[in-house]
Amino acid sequence: MKKLLYRVIEQGKFNDILIPLNIVFIDKRDIDSCGLEIDEAIKKIASGIQGPAGINVFDMGASTTSSDGIVLDGAVIKMAASDNGKINKEFGMLAMQEMRVTDELIEEEPHLMQWKKYYNDRKLFRGPNPAKKLIPVHNAVMSGRAVNNNSATEMMNVVTMEEILLPIFGQLQIMKDENVLIGLTGEYISVGIGMTVAEKYGRVFPTRQFRAGDTAHGSGEYAKTLKQHIPCIVAPKRVIAKYTIDALKIGMIPGRHIGCSPVVLTIAKYLGTKIDFDNITLKAQAELGSVGITFDYLKSPVQLLSEKEIIKRADEIIPGVENPMEIKSSELVIKRIIEI
Amino acid sequence: MDMKLMHTKLPEFIEKMKRAVIKNTPNKTIEIKGLENLKCAKMQSLRTGRIELSVGELASRDDVEKIELIVIPRIPETMHTVIVKGIGKDGKAKKAILEVINIIHPTEEVETADCEEVEDRRPSLGKH
Repeated sequence: MKKLLYRVIEQGKFNDILIPLNIVFIDKRDIDSCGLEIDEAIKKIASGIQGPAGINVFDMGASTTSSDGIVLDGAVIKMAASDNGKINKEFGMLAMQEMRVTDELIEEEPHLMQWKKYYNDRKLFRGPNPAKKLIPVHNAVMSGRAVNNNSATEMMNVVTMEEILLPIFGQLQIMKDENVLIGLTGEYISVGIGMTVAEKYGRVFPTRQFRAGDTAHGSGEYAKTLKQHIPCIVAPKRVIAKYTIDALKIGMIPGRHIGCSPVVLTIAKYLGTKIDFDNITLKAQAELGSVGITFDYLKSPVQLLSEKEIIKRADEIIPGVENPMEIKSSELVIKRIIEI
Repeated sequence: MDMKLMHTKLPEFIEKMKRAVIKNTPNKTIEIKGLENLKCAKMQSLRTGRIELSVGELASRDDVEKIELIVIPRIPETMHTVIVKGIGKDGKAKKAILEVINIIHPTEEVETADCEEVEDRRPSLGKH
């Protein structure tokens, strides 16, 4: 008899935050150690979960990208949705596509210079291959009430219509048993998640639809309201700062190589690294301006800070979640074991 | 081929479903959900006949008193055109902006969760 470990955030309330469905995290290493196939493990775990669930399988030895183009260690390689133990046979499960990183790919997607510098021994996964999915537009899986969208970073209960955002930074913290921030998405992240980079088989878009410097939202002053009141679980700001600084340090320029999200721009401003103002579109400027990240603000003189100081003062200087609460993963996430 | 043979009028579809219940079981009833928002639509004829058969089959069961017929999207994400129209005082449309919105729907498990038995007679996607 083998034991399969998984992590779960149970549906219900965490303090004042509504968790609209069960959120399940599985480590591929735990699946491997039981000698199971990934699909088999997902089905076995799902079969024991009452109510709707979003299920993500991670390869912590692989790498991925955030929506604004920061490369990270650890990746979602498969996502699923289940309801009362059932997984919809057509729409309930979807694998992410491994991307072979070549010089040609890096030329098309210059943010992958980070991969070459820091993670070149790791496989790279972002979104699924569009030819292998049945949902026409979104990178989503669905079973009953449960929807797991944007390649496993946005989950919802489509009957209560409640939703939660799970940016990849926060999920990887959970997989590492590290602290997370929980709160409401707020205006800055609402704007920031639109500032994507162009990726083939990306987390949100299958083609290179929106380049660095542009916004996928194109919603003007409404962009900041799009996800404003939805709960989200993210990494503490000092963690995001560290990864972002690592990207800026090797010459990644916001608006040219990586997305021009409020977080990235703010860190670049304090670190004193270059921002490609000329490449930031008017639509992106309108959205950034609506949350106070104007060109005037970004170009205004500021006391430059060292990497260490930015990380130390991250909570004070970097915009993010509304009403954030930093907690240990173990306060939110339960580790469960099933026997195989 | 005459289009009338290919597709069934929406009110005719609804009428046919009601008749499929009362044909052999006049005291049983049917409730149709999911078509409320449709005003004019043509329903696939071939499937209309098969659905009439299914309705009649379940209505004829001794342990069934009422039929529920629920129509949901076959693919749980549907893409819609949104037409934003500006109308003047004279009632004339001055400008329209076309936009698009994708809508996510619950899948069938939400409706079948309480069923003792589910028989899936749908063809796989791409076949009709």
